Amino acid sequence: MKEFQMGLTFSKIEGKSRDFYILLIVLAVFTLIGFICFMVSYITGHHVLGTNNIIPWGMPIIITIYLIGLSAGSLILSSLTYVFGKEEYRPIARLAVFLAIILIFGAMIGIAMDLGRPEKSWRLFMFFVLNNMRSMFAVNGILYGGYFLIGIVYLGAIFAEKYKFIRMMGMLAVFWAALVHMGTGAIFGFIATRPIFFSPIKPFEFLAAAMVSGLALLMIAVVAIFKFTKRNFNKTIIFSLGKLLLTLIIVLVVMVLVDKLTHLYSPDREPMVWLLTGPYSWVFWGLQVGLAYILPILLLAHPRYSKNIRGVMVAAFLVVIGIFGERFALVIPGTAYPLPFYPGKIEGIWGAAGSFPITPVESFMSIGIFTLMGLFLLLGLKNLELLPVDEKGEQTPAPSEKK
Amino acid sequence: MPRWGMVIDLDKCVGCQACSTACKVENNVPHGSPDEQRLRREIYWNKVIAVTTGKYPRVNTELIPMPCMHCDHAPCVTVCPAKATYRREDGIIVQDFRRCIGCKYCIVACPYGARSFNSKEQEEKEYHRQDLPPDRSVWGQWPFPTRTHGVVEKCTFCFHRIDQGLKEGKKIGKEVVPACVEDCPTGARIFGDLDDTHSEISSLLASRDWIRLREELDTKSKVYYLLK
Repeated sequence: MKEFQMGLTFSKIEGKSRDFYILLIVLAVFTLIGFICFMVSYITGHHVLGTNNIIPWGMPIIITIYLIGLSAGSLILSSLTYVFGKEEYRPIARLAVFLAIILIFGAMIGIAMDLGRPEKSWRLFMFFVLNNMRSMFAVNGILYGGYFLIGIVYLGAIFAEKYKFIRMMGMLAVFWAALVHMGTGAIFGFIATRPIFFSPIKPFEFLAAAMVSGLALLMIAVVAIFKFTKRNFNKTIIFSLGKLLLTLIIVLVVMVLVDKLTHLYSPDREPMVWLLTGPYSWVFWGLQVGLAYILPILLLAHPRYSKNIRGVMVAAFLVVIGIFGERFALVIPGTAYPLPFYPGKIEGIWGAAGSFPITPVESFMSIGIFTLMGLFLLLGLKNLELLPVDEKGEQTPAPSEKK
Repeated sequence: MPRWGMVIDLDKCVGCQACSTACKVENNVPHGSPDEQRLRREIYWNKVIAVTTGKYPRVNTELIPMPCMHCDHAPCVTVCPAKATYRREDGIIVQDFRRCIGCKYCIVACPYGARSFNSKEQEEKEYHRQDLPPDRSVWGQWPFPTRTHGVVEKCTFCFHRIDQGLKEGKKIGKEVVPACVEDCPTGARIFGDLDDTHSEISSLLASRDWIRLREELDTKSKVYYLLK
């Protein structure tokens, strides 16, 4: 086994082409715009965002839980190689760990953008001293902080090629990543006030969604980066990952079905019917059910498309977009449904469902989080040995230059 | 230790919103524009909702004034990560603006919609308070607090009045009451100690039918409503 591990070498990308720098500059510009928008919302207040007192959580929180899911899923998949010893996935394992670190970083930025007073965010990390440890949010502070550290140590161990330590860290990382995303689910699942959130299955649903979206993103990243740097890749890896994706989607569908079906019974029937038929039903049916579940299942179960790289890629794309819809369909309608203060019809604004306008500041802020992560990814590819050296393929840099 | 609570007599409430206004003036709560109210960005520490049942011509509208319920099992206290909202020994749930990081988790968790997020800087001199000295450094943060945007706020049962009254040895519930109780023209609100068997609010709760809102969530709220 050791010989096999040694046989695969990794390299940096050259990062000197014109396209590379153009991409870098475009990403940097959008990141800067995002940062300016964040400063605007921080200095003038959150009235420039779409959030209000009935929908207190907006785009940054949606993006945060989405990114945490992608990150946790990506890290769990790296364990296929480092813990379970599946050698065929080794070429993409380093990238998976690196992506996980970038994504959790983006998620932390998202939380900071959502806070009303981000300069006080250090209070979240004063565990057991200034924190109320009964709060799921404070518990998740431990989980996120630990996850970030574990991810970095894990990646360091992989670069140092200390195999026993990698395996140990891999196991810890997988365990912790599962905890992280289940903890994120618990932030929502433990709120009895909001019937659409409140569910004991939420942590597990989040975990399943994390695996699905993380795997899909990893597949896209692998194919895109390998194509762009002209590396040959083993197509069977992608097809077998596609099969895994199909299985995970089905697990997720079962969880969501159980959750929604339970809520269709009393006493939470009305909010659930509102979610399924109300103003945000298009997000639920169109994005979540349509793009994340039905179309990918059809594509990945199809005898021809599941053996076609384009078919599998389309499915992965749909999943990544669809799971974003799933997060949206949880956060926004979950809080938008009016609270039943008193039996009867509550008149005026107190009984009306909330609306969530898309504002330019919030949109650019959100785009900025993604472009910042893109920047980190490009710089990481340039400065870290993340990609495997392909002895046969025509690639940048050529293997002979590297040696 | 007393356990402060409030009784609201729905039979006496006329829905004049004097309590909402009194609260805003007492606590320097910013008043919003109609646009902000429509977008649900206006800050309310106290609100009066109208609930209708039945169909015309057989309609019944009930007016329910809703301050913070100061629950004994407050969901907001459980979820606050920064201990910015906590239960005082006398049962009042207070919000510390200096600790609040603005994560809005408490707004999500509150079953009564009692919490508001302060989403913009307050204009100075929105309210004219003749009873307070003109130099604000003399009287400190409370009463009539100024605060920055980006934190969550809510009703405090006017704890500054209670603390001041106790210091001066006055009778809380008779001589000293929260601003909404003081300004209610029909006397629909009664404030007092729930643990004191001789208080007016205890005798009202013993003699009249009462409800608390959203009992199904087991929040043990300390605001009681006497039915019509």
